[in-house]
Amino acid sequence: MTQQPSDQTRGDSTAFFSGDQSAQMSQNEVTALCLKAARGAGMSWGLAEEAGFAASWLTARGIDGPRHLLSHLTAAQGRAWGDLCPKVAPGAWQAATGKTLCPVVLGATLSDHATLPGGLTSGAILTGPVDHPILLCPFLSVIAEAAGGIVTLEWDGRRLDIDANGATSPAAFAALEGQTAVALRLSIRPGLAVHHPQTPSPAIAANTVTALNAFALRTTVPASDASRAGAGAASNDND
Amino acid sequence: MTNPAPQISSAAAPFRRDPANVMRLARMGAGHPTRLSFLRVLLRRIETEGWQCDRPVWQVDDKGVGHAVYRVQGPGCCYSLVAFAHDLPDDMRSDRVIATAWDATFTLFDGDPTPADIDRLRANVPFQEAGRITPRELTLARANRSVRLFAHVVDALSQGRQPDEAEIAAVGYLMRTTAVYGSGKFGASDRARIATRAELNGPFQVEMLTVWLIRAFTVDIVEHMARLNGGARAIRLDPALRRSLGVGNSTGLGMAPFVVRHPTLLNNWTIAREEALARVRAQPGATQQAIADLHSALDAAILNARAWHSDHPVQIPRLADLRRDLALVKATLPGWDWTAPTPWDALWHWGEAHLSLEGQEALLSLVLEPHGALIDDLAQTMGADEEVSFRLNGAMRVSELHAILQQHYAWALAIDFDLPENIARFWYVSEEKLEPRLGERAREDGGSLEQPLCIARLASLLAASLEGLDGDTPVATLLLAHPDHRFMVRRAQMAATHPYAEIRDNLIGIDMLPIDMMRCKLAFFGADRFDPRSDRWIRISLFQGAAFPDEIVLGPRA
Repeated sequence: MTQQPSDQTRGDSTAFFSGDQSAQMSQNEVTALCLKAARGAGMSWGLAEEAGFAASWLTARGIDGPRHLLSHLTAAQGRAWGDLCPKVAPGAWQAATGKTLCPVVLGATLSDHATLPGGLTSGAILTGPVDHPILLCPFLSVIAEAAGGIVTLEWDGRRLDIDANGATSPAAFAALEGQTAVALRLSIRPGLAVHHPQTPSPAIAANTVTALNAFALRTTVPASDASRAGAGAASNDND
Repeated sequence: MTNPAPQISSAAAPFRRDPANVMRLARMGAGHPTRLSFLRVLLRRIETEGWQCDRPVWQVDDKGVGHAVYRVQGPGCCYSLVAFAHDLPDDMRSDRVIATAWDATFTLFDGDPTPADIDRLRANVPFQEAGRITPRELTLARANRSVRLFAHVVDALSQGRQPDEAEIAAVGYLMRTTAVYGSGKFGASDRARIATRAELNGPFQVEMLTVWLIRAFTVDIVEHMARLNGGARAIRLDPALRRSLGVGNSTGLGMAPFVVRHPTLLNNWTIAREEALARVRAQPGATQQAIADLHSALDAAILNARAWHSDHPVQIPRLADLRRDLALVKATLPGWDWTAPTPWDALWHWGEAHLSLEGQEALLSLVLEPHGALIDDLAQTMGADEEVSFRLNGAMRVSELHAILQQHYAWALAIDFDLPENIARFWYVSEEKLEPRLGERAREDGGSLEQPLCIARLASLLAASLEGLDGDTPVATLLLAHPDHRFMVRRAQMAATHPYAEIRDNLIGIDMLPIDMMRCKLAFFGADRFDPRSDRWIRISLFQGAAFPDEIVLGPRA
């Protein structure tokens, strides 16, 4: 990752990925970068925090969360809230306008409603088509943990069980990775979480980081003389 | 990761200070280090457990360029500071985080590095942000010389004499760090990976260990340069003078948001300190030893206040207050009635009535000092697992959320955000340097890109949205209609169980002083002699007066 020393003028941890390189990122870096990128793409701060959580959760389980989030943000940026969020109704959650659902918004909303009428613990839910549903898994795991159960996610004749620790079948988990805009059936049943073998975190590609940084940059303010003044030690500090 | 709840003794609870009193910025900005400060916690462990410290590698050439390794070994643990010494031209020396070259760069390695590790680190650590480290590394740091003092000490030692005591006292350090990064920055180990280790469970222990070892390097490099210049004439630094040296630190605006972004940490740091004060105040009497220790601590504080210098218009009167207050305590203690019921509580009440904020917070530190056996266990409660409080409760009813706001954010709801002075500033991140900055809303663009640090205003906006809602409405329904409130709802739910989580002042108000936020954090670190250089950056030193690694012997020190 090393670049020219003269480049190192940014108070940021991930700005120096470039070209076709890839590198391991810490969980902290994934969370921080994805939070900023999601905010830059238009999410509220609270939802952007959920996006950071989701990407980091996936990375810790061997899935390239930042890449999936980037794909989703690229597709979803600029869409109105009403297009992204589900209408909560017993048994069937759709976007009011019939568009594909944002997995971060859907996940957070499922989590918020988990124990309420219309929520997952009161019965199975059929969702409208969901963008990049792999990003939904972290939220389903949280719901499974809170309920002490196992959440089942079904699509196109396949099924994936998710418990408090993660997804229980790597093959189905991997199959879900490539999906987007698929309708889901979600249900929960009692069951104990199992131990999951440690999966190495994937290397994150430089172009993923660069693109997420481009979203993140939208949260920043261009420099002005006023902003430069007094930001720190403006003078030479040789004393 | 563990998330221990501070042990709340029912006997001490009535003596706990109210968050409405404790969490005001003016008081937080008058904070002093205590025996629960993070560097004191680290040193207590190292001394009590008798960690073995050595310097297995010193490969520095006759230009002062090379590397060194400082190793510490405790029960079941081993860490090594890898230090790179550079030859930096004077005109490149800047304390800004955004500088590009330094006199020395460092990383704390998890274990004992091999030559291959050193080679890898040499290709990355000197470049700091432009390099990349791995989960084998726990921190990344750099430091610059105090040019004046460094040159003076090299010159004196090389000529066979000790440096001038007054010169050393005037600066207090040979080098100052300009950044110490931990917690997964630049590829380093995430805190979660190491936080289960007993010696690293407390906050900022790897960062404090890094700085403590850097302090040893700063003296070694100055003695090395003196030997190069003076040959056989050169002598080593007098141990007492050496002890008086700390590591300087320049802290800019970038550190201020930390205490807002980590509310559970701020709560756990503060409640531990407040519980410690409450335990001391709740005691029915005072032992002769405790009284003697209090007098010793007071004498040390008086000397420290005398040596503490600042030219900043905010700190000058505060320092005068502190010196006057400490003299008043000194005059009052000999006649204190230690046989009265709860004499420590009486002393505390006397302090609240007679001392400035600087003096009161200094008195807090003083009364904790003799009571290690009573309070030191609280150090184990100061960490926080922030994931635990991340998941918000969507089933909570709006009426309950409303009650939380009334109870914990009444100070915020009382602020009129239609008045320009109450929204005079905004926090943002600069595109140019990705640094946190503070803008003037009326004069600068960028207010629409405000960072969510204006907690009082966010709470006020949330409260306004609750007006007219049926109290039985679940929070989940509110959030579906108002996704913008998700950040503040999460925070308010957390504050309900963490009463010391919020700074109870308007952080975008016209008269807010960012240095107050920094000093609060730095006092918890264990910093002293705070010297603001503007309203938004501050000089401090760490570890002044503390033992050096080669002075560690088994067994507790006084």
